[in-house]
Amino acid sequence: MPTDRTQTRKASEVYAEVLLQAAQGPDAILALSEQLGQALGTIVGSIELRAALSDASLPAEARQQIAAEVFAGFDAALLAWLGVLIERGDLGLLPRINEAYLYAAEEALGAVIIDVTTVVPLDDQLRQQLKQKYAAQLGGEVILREHIDDSIVGGIVMSTHGRRIDASIVSQLQNARATLTQQQAG
Amino acid sequence: MKRNSEAREAPINAGMPDSELICPGRSGANWPEGGRAMINRRLPKALRLAACGLAGVFAAISPVLVFATEATESVPLEENEANPLTLLIPNPGEFIPMLVGFIVLWVLLAKFAWPTITGMLDKRVETIKGSLEQAENAKTESERLLAEHKAQLDEAKKQSAQIIADAKTAAELVRAEITAKAQEEAQAMLAKASAAIEAEKKAAIAELQGSVASLSVAVAGRVIGTQLSEAEHRSIIERYLVEAGSFDAN
Repeated sequence: MPTDRTQTRKASEVYAEVLLQAAQGPDAILALSEQLGQALGTIVGSIELRAALSDASLPAEARQQIAAEVFAGFDAALLAWLGVLIERGDLGLLPRINEAYLYAAEEALGAVIIDVTTVVPLDDQLRQQLKQKYAAQLGGEVILREHIDDSIVGGIVMSTHGRRIDASIVSQLQNARATLTQQQAG
Repeated sequence: MKRNSEAREAPINAGMPDSELICPGRSGANWPEGGRAMINRRLPKALRLAACGLAGVFAAISPVLVFATEATESVPLEENEANPLTLLIPNPGEFIPMLVGFIVLWVLLAKFAWPTITGMLDKRVETIKGSLEQAENAKTESERLLAEHKAQLDEAKKQSAQIIADAKTAAELVRAEITAKAQEEAQAMLAKASAAIEAEKKAAIAELQGSVASLSVAVAGRVIGTQLSEAEHRSIIERYLVEAGSFDAN
């Protein structure tokens, strides 16, 4: 007898597989992966948006329209897929679907996807160094999903499958502040 | 005739109140002190009236008897004047009737009045003796009670003095206890206040130090973010990449 967790995992994998099949080629897979991550971040970060998209009193078309307006510019396949998710009331599965899609995309691409965040864009040398270093660790080809974020001040932040390496300057400054505060308090 | 007129004018308690009635011819000299007054106060009114009536009758008939005697046995005046000593010799014509009347009166009084009077006097004496004894007993009892009350009063005074002394002692103890407790509470409050002040001081210092650290870090981050060029950023990334560990280690 399947448990709720099993059913949720299976449903998430189905949604991820459908989205993956909508992607055409490796670049589209990565693009959808990135847009899916952005959509997830937007919905999780906004209570009002999450409430509006999950409000059963609103017609499904209205909620889909809201999603289309919020995520304007996103891939049409992703918007259509998101509309189905909203209509069926499975928006809460989005974090698991994102994770399942990442696994499915990696499996489809035959590589490990690493999200890399820096203040300045990576050059080819840095990309090559990253791929070489972590290909050996992760046991396969590495695909980098690059993000630019000034808030890290400097350095680099890498994450894949829930694991994270934070080599940013902001984290080091925070560590330094915590150390200073603890020493002064002691 | 002078004695005859005196006899006729003998008082018969005329005009006196009943309480002051006294039998004529009785001075009461041989009675106990205050006996006559006692008789007057205590004898029944009827008895006193009877005794006085008899005396009055006797006094009333005496001049008559004397007159009768004088009429039958009168002595010539010339004889009396010739021999004055005859005035000292009782005239049998007067003496005998008076003696008879006296005897009759005496017999009547002895027969009827005296037993009652003496009985009442004896009774009165007994009553007075009883009263005196009672008074003596009452006096003795009152003296005893007075002594007892004095003793009780003294004891009460002693007890009240002891109670006051005990109360003072207890009050002193309570006062000392309250004072000690207040001092102890004051000390505790002072210690607590000192500890609170010290804690707040430490918290303020820590907060200030934290603020200084945060401000310093923010300034450093702002300086780093604005001062570093792209090449320097990439250089830092490359260095961190070399120093960074693996995903498995995180």
